[in-house]
Amino acid sequence: MKVRDFRTLALGCCLLLVAASAGFAFDFSEIENSVTEFTLDNGLRVLVMQRGDAPVASFVTFANVGGANDPKEYTGIAHMLEHMAFKGTRDLGTTDLEAELEAMRVEDSLWHELRAERKKRDLADSARIAELEAAFEEAVEAANQYVDPNAIWRTYEEHGGVGLNAGTGMDMTVYFVNLPSNKAELWFAIESERFYRPVFREMYKERNVVAEERRMVLENNPISKLLDQLKAAAFMAHPYGIAIIGHMSDIMNYSRQAVKEHLDRYYVPSNMCVAIVGDVDPKEMHKLARKYWERLPASPPPEELATVEPPQKGERRVYLEDPAQPFFAAAWHIPHERHPDWPAIEAMVDYLGQGRTSLLYKDLVKEKKIAAQAGAFAGMPGSKYPSLALVYAMPTTESSNEECEQAVFDQVERMKEELIPAAEVEKIKARAKAQFINGLTSNQGLAMQLAGYEVLSGSWRNMFNELDRINAVTADDIQRVAREYFTRQNRTVAHLETTK
Amino acid sequence: MSMHRILIAVVLLLVGLGATAGVAQDIESIDFPKLNDINIPDVEKVTLDNGMRIYLLQDRSLPLFNVNCRINVGSYLEPADKVGLANICGDVMRTGGTEKWAGDEIDELLEGIGGTVEHGIRLTEGTAYVNVLSEYADLGMEVLSEVMRRPVFEEDKIELAKVQARTGISRRNDDIAQISLREWQKIMYGEDSPYARHSEYATINAITRDDLVAFHRQWYHPQNIQIAIRGDFDRKKVMALVRKYFGDWPAGSVDVPPPPPVDYDWRSQVYYIEKTDVEQSYVRCGHIGGLTTDPDYADRIVMNSVLGGGFGSRITENVRTKQGLAYAAFGNYISNYDYPGYFICVASTKPQSTVQAAREMIKQTRSMLTDPPTKTEMAQAKDGYLNSFVFNFDSPREVINRIMTYDYYGLPEDRLQQVKERIEAITPEDVMAAARNNLRPDEMVVLVVGDASRFDVPLEELGLGPVTQIDITIPSGAESEDLVVDEETRAMGREVLVKAAQAHGGLDAFKKVTGVSRKATLTVTTPQGEIPLAVEELVVYPDKSRSVVSFMGQQMYDIRDGQTGWKPSQMGGVEAKTEKDIMKEDRERGRDFIWVLQHADDPSFDAVFVGPAKSGGVDVHMVAILDDKSEEIARFAFGAENHQVVSISYWGETFMGDGMVTDHVNSMITASGLTLPKVVQKELNGQKFGKVDVTELTINPEVPENAFAKPE
Repeated sequence: MKVRDFRTLALGCCLLLVAASAGFAFDFSEIENSVTEFTLDNGLRVLVMQRGDAPVASFVTFANVGGANDPKEYTGIAHMLEHMAFKGTRDLGTTDLEAELEAMRVEDSLWHELRAERKKRDLADSARIAELEAAFEEAVEAANQYVDPNAIWRTYEEHGGVGLNAGTGMDMTVYFVNLPSNKAELWFAIESERFYRPVFREMYKERNVVAEERRMVLENNPISKLLDQLKAAAFMAHPYGIAIIGHMSDIMNYSRQAVKEHLDRYYVPSNMCVAIVGDVDPKEMHKLARKYWERLPASPPPEELATVEPPQKGERRVYLEDPAQPFFAAAWHIPHERHPDWPAIEAMVDYLGQGRTSLLYKDLVKEKKIAAQAGAFAGMPGSKYPSLALVYAMPTTESSNEECEQAVFDQVERMKEELIPAAEVEKIKARAKAQFINGLTSNQGLAMQLAGYEVLSGSWRNMFNELDRINAVTADDIQRVAREYFTRQNRTVAHLETTK
Repeated sequence: MSMHRILIAVVLLLVGLGATAGVAQDIESIDFPKLNDINIPDVEKVTLDNGMRIYLLQDRSLPLFNVNCRINVGSYLEPADKVGLANICGDVMRTGGTEKWAGDEIDELLEGIGGTVEHGIRLTEGTAYVNVLSEYADLGMEVLSEVMRRPVFEEDKIELAKVQARTGISRRNDDIAQISLREWQKIMYGEDSPYARHSEYATINAITRDDLVAFHRQWYHPQNIQIAIRGDFDRKKVMALVRKYFGDWPAGSVDVPPPPPVDYDWRSQVYYIEKTDVEQSYVRCGHIGGLTTDPDYADRIVMNSVLGGGFGSRITENVRTKQGLAYAAFGNYISNYDYPGYFICVASTKPQSTVQAAREMIKQTRSMLTDPPTKTEMAQAKDGYLNSFVFNFDSPREVINRIMTYDYYGLPEDRLQQVKERIEAITPEDVMAAARNNLRPDEMVVLVVGDASRFDVPLEELGLGPVTQIDITIPSGAESEDLVVDEETRAMGREVLVKAAQAHGGLDAFKKVTGVSRKATLTVTTPQGEIPLAVEELVVYPDKSRSVVSFMGQQMYDIRDGQTGWKPSQMGGVEAKTEKDIMKEDRERGRDFIWVLQHADDPSFDAVFVGPAKSGGVDVHMVAILDDKSEEIARFAFGAENHQVVSISYWGETFMGDGMVTDHVNSMITASGLTLPKVVQKELNGQKFGKVDVTELTINPEVPENAFAKPE
C-alpha cells in the first residue's frame, strides 16, 4: 500500500515498481506489443495502445515541465499555466476575438504599469496606484465581456468527455480526459490548438482562483504547511524546496506575458508526449496526429535545470506552531529515480513504512499505540531530481511528537543494523509486482505511465523493464542504502506543535 | 465530397504549405464516426441455499482476482450511547484475528503476497473487498470468510481501534471542510439522528468486547450478504471456493430494521462556527434532498448539472470563473437510496468574500426557478449525460457492483437505460419543474465556518434571520451531562464539603492553612516497567508554588509566582508560563484538596452535589467543583459513612497523555491535626499509570527566600 504525497497537485510519481518474483511470472509481452509509437517531424512523441472492449479511450498530454522549472520571481507559474491552458483558444471561448485581443492588450498594459508602480514600495505614488487600480479593474471587466467561459470544458462534456482534468507536479504537467472513442478527433483538435495558439483570457481573474486554491490546499491545511516548511529547510538551493503552487506574493504578481513566455519555452513538441489508450486504431491516431499536432513548430528542447543541492552536513529541525493536533515528519536526501540506488530505496521505505506489516506500523501503531498512523515513502516532492524520503507519524491523544520521533528513528536504525531476511525481500517484490499488475487495469493509468516513462526515463519500454530493476535488489542493497542515506546529518525533522 | 470536407482539405493544404495565419480548427465541422456498440458484460447470479447471493463476472485480461461484498448492516443499528461501535466492529473484524489466524498473521499472509482484504461498516451498509493475484484466489476467499464468519476481536486490536478513534476525535476540528460536513449533517438530520451523530470520547470508552461480539453475531448472516466476484477465474473452480467457504454457513434468522425516516423542518436559517486560524471561510447553503427512487430522479440529474455540476454550471461559473471568489465552488443535489440526501452549494473563499459568495450561490439557486436553462446549458447537461453514457460500462468493477446494488434495492437491471431514456426526452420546462419541486431558495440553511471578524459584511445582512453560533468544542468525556446546577445542589454540595472538612481535621483548621510542603515518591508505570521519581513541592496559597521532579540526576521545575511562572521547556531548562497557562492553573486549583476544603462553606465557591455513587467499591457522595462557566473542574468522592475523601477525578493532561484522570486515595497522613491523602493511585482513562506516596508533609512551613524565583 504505497502512500503518496498528501497534497501533491500532480499524480506524484507514476513510476510504479514491478516485481518478477521467482514464482508465477506474468507475461507482459502482449501488452507491450500493443503499443505503437511514432515521433512527428516537430519532435512530438505519440504513443498509442489499442486495448479494451468498451468504446472509450483515455488521452494524456504530458509536458516535461513542472514546479522545479519555475523562474525565481514567478514560483508556481507552471501550475498557473496549467489553469490558463483551460481558458480556450482563438476559436473556443470568445464572442469576438479581435475586440477581445485588443481589450487584453489594454489589460496587460495597465497591469504592467500598476505593478511597476507598486514595486516602488514606499516610494510609490499612492494616488497613481489608486488611479491605475481603478483603470485596471475597468479594463478587466471590459475584457471579460467577450469571454465565453469554460468553453473547453463544455465542449468536452457535451461530447461525452469525463474526467477532464490536469495536474502539475514538481517534475511534470499532465492533461487528461476520457472520451467515447469515436470522439478522438475532438481531442486532437482542441488539445493541439490549446498548446499551439492558446488565448490566455481571464488571466487576472484566474490569478485570484489560484490564490484561493493556495489558501485551501496549503494555508488551511496544517500538515501541508508543515511539509512545506520541511521542504524549505531541506533544500537550500534546489527548487524542490518551494511549493508547487508558488508563493502568494508571486501569484499575485503574475502577468499574462510571463505565462506566455513559460509556454513558449517549455511547451515545445520535443518536450512533450501524448499517449492514447483504448478502443482506437493506431493508424487513425497517427493520421490525426499529423493533421493536428504537426502544426506546432519544431523547437529544440529547453535547457535543463542545472541547480544541484549541496550536501546537507547536519540535522535541520523545523517547528510549526498551530492550533491543529500534533504531527511528526522527517526526511532524508536521496538520489533521483533513475539512479541505480533507487529500487533499493523504494524497497527500504516499503519495508519501513508501507502496510500493516511495516516496521513503523508494527511498532508505533500496533505495539506502542503512540501513533494513529505512521509511514514512509520516497520521492518527495518529485523524483526527477535528487529528492527526499519521508517518514511521518500522527501522534495519538496519549502520545507526543517526541515519542514518535524516537520510535521512528529507532526503527530506521534497525534497518541499518539488521539485514532483512531473504523471505521478506521476496515479499517486497511480491507487493511491487501485485501493484504493477493492478496499475494495468485502466486506460487512463496506462496512458499516464506510458507517457511518464517515455518523458522521464527516455523510453516507455522502461515501464516493462522496471521488473529487472527491483528483481536485482538484495537485502545487502537495502541495508547499504539505509546506512548511506538515512543518517542524522542528512535529515530534516519537522514538528507540528499544538498551541493551546 | 461534402462542403466541410472540402474546407478541411483546403485548410490542410494551407497548413501543409506552411501558412501560419491558418484557420483555427473548426470543431463544429468535424465528422465523428458512429460509436461502436457497447457490449455490456454478462453477470451471472447465483443464490446459495443459505440465502447468500453471488455475482460472477469473468475477466481474464489480467491475472487479478477481485471480490466486493455488501452486507446489510450499518451504524444506524448501534445504540446511541455507543456511537462508533459499528465502525470499530467492522475494523476489528479484519484486524483483530479470526478463529484460524491471529490478526497480525492475516496481515503477514496478505502483505506477503501483495494482496488486500479489507472490511468495514458504514452508515447503512457493510463492505468488504478482496484484491489478490488470481493464483491466490483460494487464500483470498478463505481470509474473507474467516473475517466475516469467525472474527475473535482480540482485545489489543480493540484497544488500537479505540486509540485511533480517540485520535480522530481530537483532530476533528482541524479541517474546516470536515467541520462543515459534520455539523451540516446534524443540522439536516438532527444531532441525534443516526445519519448525523458521531462518536465522542464517552461513547468510545463505553464500547466493550462483548458489544462487538454481540453486534457481529446479530447481523452477520449469509442471507444478509452479497458477494461480487470478478477477474481471472474459472467458473467451476470459483463456485467450488464459494461453496467451500460460505456454503456451510447456516442461515440465521435476522430481521434488519430499515434505516429510519428523517424528520425535516423547512426553514431559513443561518449558522456560524468560529474558526480563526484559517485563510478561507467554508460556506455551505442548502436544504434537505431526495431519494434515488423519487419519480423525478432523472430530471434532477439534468437540473443538478445546470445548477452546480462542474464548469459551465451556474454556481461554478459565477462563483469561481466569473468572480474568482473560489477554487472550490460547486452545487450538488444528492439523492440517497435509504434516506434523503441534501442539496448543497459550497464555496471556500477568503474571509472578505464570505457573504458575497453565499449571496451568489443563493441567487443562482433562485435562478433555476425563474430562468429556464439555455440551449447551451441543456446541451451540456443532456448531451453530456447521453454522450458519456458509455462510461457507465467501461469497467467490469462498475458493472458488477451496480448489479449488486440494484439487486439489493430491488431496482430493475435496466434502470440506467430508463434514466437515459427519460433524459433523452427532457425539456427546459421539465428542468424548471424539477427545480420548483425540489429547490427552495427561500428556505435555505446557511452554514459558515470561518472568522467573522474578517467577513465582508456580517452574516445578519444575508437577511435570512438571526445567526446561531455553534460551539464545536470537543466534550471531554467527563460525565458533566448529569449535573444539576441550582441553589439546592449548591447547598447540598457545601454540606458534603463541610462534613468532609470536619472529618479531615476541622473546617477552621483548614482555613488556617496558608501553605503546605510535601516530599513524595511518584512511581510511574510504563511498558518498560516502574520508574520512581522524587517530587518536592511547596505551595503558598493561593498562587505561589514550586515543584521539583527528580529523575536520574535530572531536575524538572514547575514554578508559579502570582501572575508569572516557569515550566519545563522541551529543550531542557525552563520557559515562561503563558497567560493561558496561568489561567488554566488558577482554574485547576479546583482540584486541590486543601483549597477546596478551605472553601467548604464559601458561597462564592461553586461546588454542587452530584449524587450518590460507588467509588472503588465504597458508597460515596460526589461533589463537582465548577468554574465560572459552570463547567466541571473536578469531581470529589467522599465516603458516605466517614465523609473522608475516596477519590478525585478530573479531565487532565499527564505526561502519559490527556484523558480522564482519577486519583484513588488509599491511605492518609496526619500533620498539624489535619488528615490528608498519603498514598494515591493514579489512573488515566481507567488504566493505572502511577502512584504517589507522600513521605513528608508540613503545614504552614517556613518559606525560603527566592523560593519561587526562576531556577538557574
